[in-house]
Amino acid sequence: MPPYGAEAVPGASPETAVPVAEVNGAVSRLLEESFDPLWVRGEVTNWKPHRSGHRFFSLRDDDAQLSCVMWNSDVSRLPAEPEEGMQVSAFGTLGLWVKRGDFRFAVRRIQAEGEGLWRLAFERLHARLKAEGLLEPARKRPLPRVPGTIGVVTSKSGAALRDVIAVIRRRAPHTRILVSDCRVQGEGAASEILAALTRLVDEGSSDVIVLTRGGGSIEDLWAFNDEELARAIAACPIPTVAAVGHEIDFTIADFVADLRAPTPSSAAESVTEDEAVLRAELRAAQSGLVDGLRGRIRADAERVRLAHGSLAAMMNRMIDERRSRLAVAGGRLDGLSPLGALERGFAVPLGESGRVLRSIAEFRSGDRFTLRLVDGSVMATTNEVFVDPAAPPPGRAST
Amino acid sequence: MDARQDEGGQYGFERLMEEVEEIVGRLDSGDVELDEALALFERGVSRIRAAGQLLDGARGRVEELIESAAGELSSSEFEPTSGRNGQSDGE
Repeated sequence: MPPYGAEAVPGASPETAVPVAEVNGAVSRLLEESFDPLWVRGEVTNWKPHRSGHRFFSLRDDDAQLSCVMWNSDVSRLPAEPEEGMQVSAFGTLGLWVKRGDFRFAVRRIQAEGEGLWRLAFERLHARLKAEGLLEPARKRPLPRVPGTIGVVTSKSGAALRDVIAVIRRRAPHTRILVSDCRVQGEGAASEILAALTRLVDEGSSDVIVLTRGGGSIEDLWAFNDEELARAIAACPIPTVAAVGHEIDFTIADFVADLRAPTPSSAAESVTEDEAVLRAELRAAQSGLVDGLRGRIRADAERVRLAHGSLAAMMNRMIDERRSRLAVAGGRLDGLSPLGALERGFAVPLGESGRVLRSIAEFRSGDRFTLRLVDGSVMATTNEVFVDPAAPPPGRAST
Repeated sequence: MDARQDEGGQYGFERLMEEVEEIVGRLDSGDVELDEALALFERGVSRIRAAGQLLDGARGRVEELIESAAGELSSSEFEPTSGRNGQSDGE
């Protein structure tokens, strides 16, 4: 018979049998109190999303298996979900699922070998965006050469912004810089960057947008691998340049932007043209314009010169023509001149009034008349008049 | 849109220069009347002047875009802190 009181110890006898929930609760407390949160290494298996958003899986090695859960809130911080069979280290607390009596490990964080999960997340998103054609070179838009306003999405206290401002002020001091401030790393940075980009798009005065931050670890740069941000950059109506981290760092933002620049400074260079170059272009345009007008006027002058030449030639031709017509007419005139007849020895009788006497009817015996010869006149008197029977009647004489 | 848009459009300088090039092209082609050529020349000169003014204006202006609690956007002069390092924002 057990000693008195032993029956009173919970679970020591059928009479003091303990309810299941109490046992499980006690074991759960025991586990939690005995183990500090710890890292456990193993292979991921049976990774299953639950509709609640939690993940159930196991970690195992050759000899053993450990049931695991990862709560929704912790899952959302994972860059990517691990793949089946992936070697990981998981950080969490050991405990018991009271309801089911299952011993399990509540995982808060998972790290794959090296940067495994980050890389995996990057590759998955990259592949997805690529399949959608968002990374096509044909989608890349040309950047304006001389933007009036450059929008900059970055932290206003970062060195990246100082570099960008310095380069723009040096190369293109006429350019307006519009800063849209955001945190560029840490939790919530991706949505801040997205909001900063959206502000610039909504405001609308930027001709090009630069998204940038300085160098950092893959975790620091992680916000620029956010899918929503990547889609917003791809859909941005204003051309974009991304310069995230150093030359060797590539983020999804770099791939979807119209241009990826290796550093903040080179991003600023890619969206500005040196002012000296622009001034030289202005001067060239000005002389081009002056030459154009001068050429136009010269062409006119040449036309006038040609026209003048042909006008003069035409006038000369006309004069020559008139002159030869005149010569011909003169010759004919000579033939008709009475002076010609006188030269050949003819004489003309003129009456008292100087009228030409054409017929014997105008002569009477004793009348005085004048005989006009080539070199002078002779006064004469009519003695006798004879009729020529063969001559035509008077009055039909021709000139 | 602010006043800059009216000055020269979105790509002000480039568009103005393109127009000048087009004018020079037309002058060179020679098939414009003299009075039209003079009008083109004057337009070209005004475009070059406008482009020059774009380069002269607003030197080194830096503004910060701010969204009010009501969601309204405004921009104000922003003087970047020189020398101070951006704490945890990398270089």
